[in-house]
Amino acid sequence: MPPDTETTFTMELMYRRSLGPVVGGFFTGLRDQRVLASRTAEGRVICPPLEYDPETGDGVDELVEVGAAGEVTAWAWVAEPRRKHPLDRPFAWVLVRLDGADTAMVHALDAEGPDAVRTGMRVRVRWAEERTGTITDIACFEPEGT
Amino acid sequence: MTPDTETDEGDVRFVRQLIGLDYAVRTNPVARAFGEALAEGRITGHRCPSCGLVYVPPKGFCPICTVPTGSEHEVAIADRGIVTSWTVLTPIQYAGQEEREDYALASLLLEGADGTVGQQRLVEVALDEIRMGLRVEAVWAPEGEREPDDRGYGLGTAITGWRPTGEPDAPADAYREHVL
Repeated sequence: MPPDTETTFTMELMYRRSLGPVVGGFFTGLRDQRVLASRTAEGRVICPPLEYDPETGDGVDELVEVGAAGEVTAWAWVAEPRRKHPLDRPFAWVLVRLDGADTAMVHALDAEGPDAVRTGMRVRVRWAEERTGTITDIACFEPEGT
Repeated sequence: MTPDTETDEGDVRFVRQLIGLDYAVRTNPVARAFGEALAEGRITGHRCPSCGLVYVPPKGFCPICTVPTGSEHEVAIADRGIVTSWTVLTPIQYAGQEEREDYALASLLLEGADGTVGQQRLVEVALDEIRMGLRVEAVWAPEGEREPDDRGYGLGTAITGWRPTGEPDAPADAYREHVL
């Protein structure tokens, strides 16, 4: 196809989102290299935190700290990262249940290849060098012991 | 993504998030021919061989009769017409906004066309003097600066705006069927 028969354009929209005390607290914690979770009345620890108990719908405002390492519960390999992905090389999207949490969070895992990823493997947070209070303060996860 | 929480200290209360969408559009031959004519200072349309309606920009088909149209159905459209409706926009200074002053965009019924062309900038007219039936003419961009809209949505950058001709307004019958 001749090059002049295809055109590309990018549309970008800047959003400014109000976070509220629970998600705001989570992001404040990340900036300080602490991972916070919400704890429901029944004692379930939800990370990343929700503002409500998914079982009862009741509001949740108690934040507790969980570990910065945990276990992969599911994953998918990304062979060709796209422009906005957190890593510019092949990586895995993973669900990680952090130590002390009852739910899993999605993030990127920096791994050698799909053969280096398995459900149940231990991973830990790799903190961003400059942290500003966003989810990307966790640069990615990395296999424990590396 | 370039998140930013605006503060380095205290509780995090806001997050900025840039949503970006990359599009790749394959230009169709009809839009391309329309853009090439615009670069030469000509506006073109297609006349449906069945119902006779003239579409600008041409679509390559008549959506009413569902018959294809091509270069053999091309007709010349004047670079002048009348305002059928308009909006005055007050720009909010969000990221990427280049406008600073209030401005007007109009739907125009061009001479020779049976449908309006939307989102056309009105120039050289006070915003409170814009009205239905106002006759306007194109202000063309210099040759070489007439970039087509390859998506086939509009006139690209070929026409920088439309200014009043100073002639008497068109009667209501001229645009009654074309108002929103």
